[in-house]
Amino acid sequence: MPGSTTDTSERPAVDAAIVEAVDGAVIDADEQEIEPSPARPKLIGTGSDAVRERQRAVRLYFFLPLLFLTAALMGGLRLASPDNAFVFVAPALICLVFGAVLMVLFVRGGLISIEDWFSDDLATVHNIANGVLLASVFAATVQVFNSVVPEAGLPFWVVAFCFAWTLWNNLFADLGNRKLLRSMIALFSFAFVAKYLILAGLTAPPTEGGWLRSVFEDPARQAVTWALDLPRYSAGTGYIQFFTLGFYFLGLYLLPRSADHV
Amino acid sequence: MERIISVKVKYIQILGTVLAAFYGVFIVFLYAAEPRSLGEVTSKAISAVESTVTKGQVLTGTYEVDRERFNEGLTAFRSDNFILARDRFERADPEKRDANTQFYIAYSFYRQGWGRVSNDDDLFKAGLEALQRVPQIDPDFVSKDAGLQLRTAAELRNEFEEGLKVTAGDFNPFKLIRERK
Repeated sequence: MPGSTTDTSERPAVDAAIVEAVDGAVIDADEQEIEPSPARPKLIGTGSDAVRERQRAVRLYFFLPLLFLTAALMGGLRLASPDNAFVFVAPALICLVFGAVLMVLFVRGGLISIEDWFSDDLATVHNIANGVLLASVFAATVQVFNSVVPEAGLPFWVVAFCFAWTLWNNLFADLGNRKLLRSMIALFSFAFVAKYLILAGLTAPPTEGGWLRSVFEDPARQAVTWALDLPRYSAGTGYIQFFTLGFYFLGLYLLPRSADHV
Repeated sequence: MERIISVKVKYIQILGTVLAAFYGVFIVFLYAAEPRSLGEVTSKAISAVESTVTKGQVLTGTYEVDRERFNEGLTAFRSDNFILARDRFERADPEKRDANTQFYIAYSFYRQGWGRVSNDDDLFKAGLEALQRVPQIDPDFVSKDAGLQLRTAAELRNEFEEGLKVTAGDFNPFKLIRERK
């Protein structure tokens, strides 16, 4: 591991002088070069590098999949207006296409190095665990598109076209890792503002007293809602999607280039 | 030393993969079941587990009709409470694999829809549709219930089809003295 040290003085002490290795071999601490302290002998293999390795594994195989899958769960979650009932919106096909294109961009931009994530030199379990992590990244990517692309009507086509245009351009641009991430944050932030602040602001909330009364009370909003075919969600949806984007980009920030890269 | 480290990381990888798989399945379940509240998540999960268990029983050949619910349905059927009867029969045979139960469901549509002057076409159509399952499950099915005058799928289908037709015989005044089978 880069930056790690094998200096035995950094290894923490343990209660046993004799340590049984996992493969069954018994290692006598007295036979090693390490000088165990009489009170608290030192355990071989639990030095700072091992601790760091485990922490890294926990981050990669526990925390990051959890983060990305939570983003995937929340990406399609809306709260219906006015009763705040859950509405789970499955991603449109175009979101899957955008997700796949963005994964290709991540690979091209160097955010993900496929040959380092999957290798014949790695154990099968290691390859599977890496695959699960990257699958969770893909699921979250698809759901983030599902989150910011409007569900139906003219806004859906306009925003989808803008995404397609940008992704197509980026496919041929020479974007580095950081530039790509910055570009994506800017793109999704803009889409989020467009959908959950501007378009949601245009959508008329249902009023008590029926459709006719609402037309008289707020004709412009009713007209825009009807013309743009916008679904009505409660304000909580915007908060959920804000955290979805936050989780997703936090995950991308913490995601190493490869499984062996810190 | 390398060995000790790699094995411990391996456990973390296995555990992480299993947890991620469970979480992934849970997410797919949520999107498939579409619960509208947190309370509904539990009830939908229970029904999904029951459905999975039943399908597992079908695959392993150990599927059986729920006798208790079937008997409840039979009691309701004999006391002319056909809506309750159908509910109990459907719950007794959720996989629709028992010819006898499906026959009773179809028969309940017949008895509920039968009228001395005119029949309820919607119920008869629903009964005809339910009856189609019986010969698919057991082509030679004959009911053992002595209280039923129509004991086979063919006889019951004929009653449904005749009931749905409009013929000159429908205006025969003697029709008013006929009895429900």
